[in-house]
Amino acid sequence: MTGSFAQVRLLLARNLREGLRNPVLAYALPIVIPLTMMVLVAKTLSVVTRLPGFPTTNYAEWMTPAIIMLTAMTGVGYAATSLVIDIQSGFLDRLRLLNAKPSSLLLSRLLFDVVRVLPAGATLLVVGVLLGTHVNEGVVGIVGLFALLILWAAAYGGLYFVVALTTRNAQAPLALAPLFLPLQFLSTQFVPRSLLPNWVQTASVWNPFTYMVDAARSLVTGPLELEPLAKAIAVGVGVLIVTQLAARRSFARAVDAV
Amino acid sequence: MTDGAAIEVRDLAKRYEPAGVEALRGVSFEVGQGEIFGFLGRNGAGKSTTVRILTTLLRPSGGSAHVLGTDVTAEPAKVRHVLGVALQDAALDELMTGREHLVLASRLSGASAKAAGRKAADLLEVFGLTGAGDRIAARYSGGMRRRLDVAMALVRDPQVLFLDEPTTGLDPQSRRALWELIRRQQEQGTTVFLTTQYLAEADELAERVAIVHAGTVAAMGTPTALKERYGATTVRLRVAGADAVDRVKGATGVDPVTTAGDGRLVLNVTGGDAAVPALLGRLATLGPAIERIEVRSATLEDVFVALTGSEIEAGAGSADNTSLTGVRRGIGVPSGSNR
Repeated sequence: MTGSFAQVRLLLARNLREGLRNPVLAYALPIVIPLTMMVLVAKTLSVVTRLPGFPTTNYAEWMTPAIIMLTAMTGVGYAATSLVIDIQSGFLDRLRLLNAKPSSLLLSRLLFDVVRVLPAGATLLVVGVLLGTHVNEGVVGIVGLFALLILWAAAYGGLYFVVALTTRNAQAPLALAPLFLPLQFLSTQFVPRSLLPNWVQTASVWNPFTYMVDAARSLVTGPLELEPLAKAIAVGVGVLIVTQLAARRSFARAVDAV
Repeated sequence: MTDGAAIEVRDLAKRYEPAGVEALRGVSFEVGQGEIFGFLGRNGAGKSTTVRILTTLLRPSGGSAHVLGTDVTAEPAKVRHVLGVALQDAALDELMTGREHLVLASRLSGASAKAAGRKAADLLEVFGLTGAGDRIAARYSGGMRRRLDVAMALVRDPQVLFLDEPTTGLDPQSRRALWELIRRQQEQGTTVFLTTQYLAEADELAERVAIVHAGTVAAMGTPTALKERYGATTVRLRVAGADAVDRVKGATGVDPVTTAGDGRLVLNVTGGDAAVPALLGRLATLGPAIERIEVRSATLEDVFVALTGSEIEAGAGSADNTSLTGVRRGIGVPSGSNR
């Protein structure tokens, strides 16, 4: 029997290879929604920067860090669906019979979701720069941004696993896709907090995505500050723990002998 | 437990909640090491449930099961180490090639990349899949999928091999090829637990069979013993002339049991196949009046009908089975012959 690390590596390699055989769905699709948002919103709503109190004159610059964090939410889900297909096809039974650990199976799928988001994040960063975004915090900021993207993708992706494994329906995660809409509108993605209506300001405090957006801005356009970063990491890790604990439980129920 | 048993099952029960369906109601049997054991039954009889419990994928509601002396519920990981399993539906990943399937299975079992590559190449060769080894499973035919599935089960040279309806849906040629492979595994000392709804397949391969019906074992033994006990050898013949029944009875001393009115008669042979030559000798006195004669040994199908009251294929909706309809020996009697 192989160790957990080797198992995760073998299974992740399998997932990535499969992604290459289905490249549009696996690697290109996560880019579509954020790219559309980026180009359309930045161009059609650019007048909002004229509002008093708006911190920049280039709306694309305001949107770039937020849209990059959005790729985490539009990019995950594929892995959860694949996991349910493995359960339904009996392939998961086969892997279990080869003594693959449930934790290795789950982690290899989660990591695939994370990897899948990276090309989307990189594409959006390039598009953002082309639209005039200044990367004021340089390489440190970019590295930090991608680390945060990975954390948020893993944390948010866990939700898809919970839904997929609880329903054991490969299509169920699709129903979760529109969740990114209220999360982005009830956050500071489009305008600064001070310009949000009161009730949205309140909602945004309870919306984890707000913290990702704020920290991403700090990392890309600056100024680089500790507080938004610390909050984002705390919220991200918190969501990750909650979704992973729930996903592990649903996975155990789905695969354990009953 | 009995010394040397590869599989030992005692009063195994499985109740599926919340529906309360009783799939197994106290199944007991033993399989010796190196034996091919046939587990026969209609769809829904409890075959797959038994396989899933024995392979640690399902927990029983009652009773116990040991594989090579290890309790399947207490130490599932240890049991999995000695198993090779091909479940009812070929469990493949559509986007992985045949070779990748075998390499992944081999590496998860602890083989190095090099050893796994060799093992995969060997198995592809043995199963006639070398040419298709680098094609994804989605492009495989039903027979190729089955073969790859069984090849996956052999990746770690299992001591106990579970095959759940391995030949369902295969054409006769692929079926025979798979039988050959199963026999070869047995020659290497592997114990084989084979479920099937093709009775001739069990007859062909298995040293002992258990017939499961509605979650219980209805009968168990060697195919020959079961046939002797529950089936009968028959001689079917057509005899010309209105007084055929009386003449056959006069010649053989046996009452023909069925008469179709057109001279077709069926004689039950008491004493099994051994009594057939003497009976044929007595029938020979009828000479050219015999237009057609056929000796039919008892088949497991007869045993199955006798035990469960209906044919195994009833409602199964399974593939063409004509190549498997038991052992038939037609004995042509030349029309011009006389004594």
